[in-house]
Amino acid sequence: VKRGLIAWDKAELPPEVFESRLARARQRLAERDLPALVVYSDLGKSNYARFYSNFMPYFNRALLVIPRTEEDKPFLLCGLSPRVYPWIESVTILEEIIASPNLAAKLLEICAQRGWRRLGFLDPEGLPYDLHRVITAAIQIEPVPHEGDDTERAMHRRARQMAWEGLIAEIRPSLEPILDYELVGNLERRLRRAGAEDLVILVTNGDTAPAPAKGQTLREGFSVLVALEYGGHWAKAGRYHGAAGGAVAHGARLEVLSGVLPYQICDAPPMGAALATTMELRDGEHRYFFCDTQWTTDGGSEPL
Amino acid sequence: MSLPDSRRLSHFLDLMTERGWDRLLFYGNAWRKDFFRYLLNVNFSGPWAIASLDRSGEIRAILSDPWDAELLPDVGRAVLPAAGFPAGSVGDAFGRAGFSLQPGLQPRSGRRLKPPLQAKACSTQPSVAVAGLELMDAGLVESLGSDPVSATAEIEEMRRVKSPEEIECLRRAAALADRGYEYFAQIIEPGMAEYELVAEVEGYLKSNGAEDNFMLIASGGTEVKGMRPPTQRQFKRGDQVTTELTPQIGGYYAQICRTLVLGEPSAEQRQAFAIFSEARGAAEDLLKPGVDIADVARAQNDVFREHGYGEYTGSKYTRVRGHNLGLHPDETPYVLEDVHYTVKPGMAIIAHPNTYLPLSGYMVFGDTLLVTETGCEPLNRAERKLFHPEGQFLKK
Repeated sequence: VKRGLIAWDKAELPPEVFESRLARARQRLAERDLPALVVYSDLGKSNYARFYSNFMPYFNRALLVIPRTEEDKPFLLCGLSPRVYPWIESVTILEEIIASPNLAAKLLEICAQRGWRRLGFLDPEGLPYDLHRVITAAIQIEPVPHEGDDTERAMHRRARQMAWEGLIAEIRPSLEPILDYELVGNLERRLRRAGAEDLVILVTNGDTAPAPAKGQTLREGFSVLVALEYGGHWAKAGRYHGAAGGAVAHGARLEVLSGVLPYQICDAPPMGAALATTMELRDGEHRYFFCDTQWTTDGGSEPL
Repeated sequence: MSLPDSRRLSHFLDLMTERGWDRLLFYGNAWRKDFFRYLLNVNFSGPWAIASLDRSGEIRAILSDPWDAELLPDVGRAVLPAAGFPAGSVGDAFGRAGFSLQPGLQPRSGRRLKPPLQAKACSTQPSVAVAGLELMDAGLVESLGSDPVSATAEIEEMRRVKSPEEIECLRRAAALADRGYEYFAQIIEPGMAEYELVAEVEGYLKSNGAEDNFMLIASGGTEVKGMRPPTQRQFKRGDQVTTELTPQIGGYYAQICRTLVLGEPSAEQRQAFAIFSEARGAAEDLLKPGVDIADVARAQNDVFREHGYGEYTGSKYTRVRGHNLGLHPDETPYVLEDVHYTVKPGMAIIAHPNTYLPLSGYMVFGDTLLVTETGCEPLNRAERKLFHPEGQFLKK
């Protein structure tokens, strides 16, 4: 659950960045002759709505609507109480938030008012089934591709930096055996104080894949993986404690961090995306894990 | 890993027989793991997971992260990690786990499953039901290769009444919520930012075994209308600070709501708290099996009405007067005057008359209550008072 600092630092992400993103979205709408673009958002799928508006939910679901005409500002259909709208307005570009206990009904009501019979959706297949069923029964929806931009790179870089600073500070070479709960708690405290919005921390004593803490004492050779969200941008970092000695590479997994999900395993990462690579090393039965986040380019990937 | 006990499994199988479902799926995603965990209580970390029960009682799982598969060594499982769900892909994954979604029909690669040939005899009865269907990606539903029906309402109803094992998890979560609030009240001080306090409390709860925690906060004076995620606002002497802590243990969330004043509470704050205290007590006095949940809301709201603050019991100033708790921190039924539901023994409900009052600004107060055979038992043990720490920081 996102419960860290959700803020908008306008020096870091100037309003012009969002204006540029919205302009490109409107262009894609114009190319497809669509009147508006709809972006779904919930706790597990907040990346795209954040990209266009900086809106990140702490609970519930929302639909961001971006009309094609520039005079029409983007607006949010929101399941949260109107009592928190001043807070939402303070951390997003949004000036209009419409209370929508029933998101699909409110969207269709607006479509009827504005004469919209077709809508563009980012990731329509990822729309929750209950919304998809009601909306598609009434109007035609068409997929519109998402296009990231280079501004995200700096945000992912900051997220990566925070994750590594936390890991380096908490996984010291001199660290005595420690309960996994305690290590995770120490990382949570440090990283949320540094401004992390959300965290997913996995640990292993080398006998399993990384998993949530379960109350075991971590011994030499344990590994910790941190997925950290900062300003709506994710990074992953991970390291093992001690020396891996004669361990040899056993495999690697790739995860895209700037798609619709916080992280998604992939075979062929797209260009211009944050990519986490987790390496697994094995020394006999003991498994070590190391992870870092890079930025994909047409030539491969570069450090963030 | 926790498999369901034989009683719960038996309830599932009875439901399947009654409804004519050949297979019952339990869906979970990163935000809502609750339905999945009701069948397989595993804290998976991938984007989604599906657990499946067939009429023979066999349990299987489809996972989106191969690491999660290692948490389930005792059940048939398959992994579908790639992005997107080509038609039939999930049906294929089920095939790799050793079963098909439709009895007698083996899924084939790259093809959406057609309705089963032998399904004529029960053509009016859907054979696949999904708990959490509404939460599933539309593409994932499509790729199931069947035409599932929702089992969400039926499973939610089962989830409302807790087993002894579930109650034990709730007791532990409530005890941790108490300790977490004690820590909250101990370390808060003027100059600290809201998000720094939340970071400290998160660290404390995780260090003590919480899997997760849902937490909101607010600080200030009578201008505060509700709670939200923490901001960079720094606490000042005289602030009223509200929070709800909801740690999760063994999959189960328990909640505590308390209000604190950084200094000596004003007469208005004390007056407001007395109203909240009376309202919370009215809910606890009334809550027992057979009661309509609407009356639990009304009992709280009537206290505000009697004190002349009835207008602050509506949706403009408050959301709900409580809610059910369990594998999700905000379960139904909600405690509202227009929600009718007969309370059953074994339910875990937080009754919280949280709202805005012009006397104090937004104030919160509530405990997790376990419905017993004759009444209810508070699971929280934290002091029921308007906190105003007079220790460390006020002497600085």
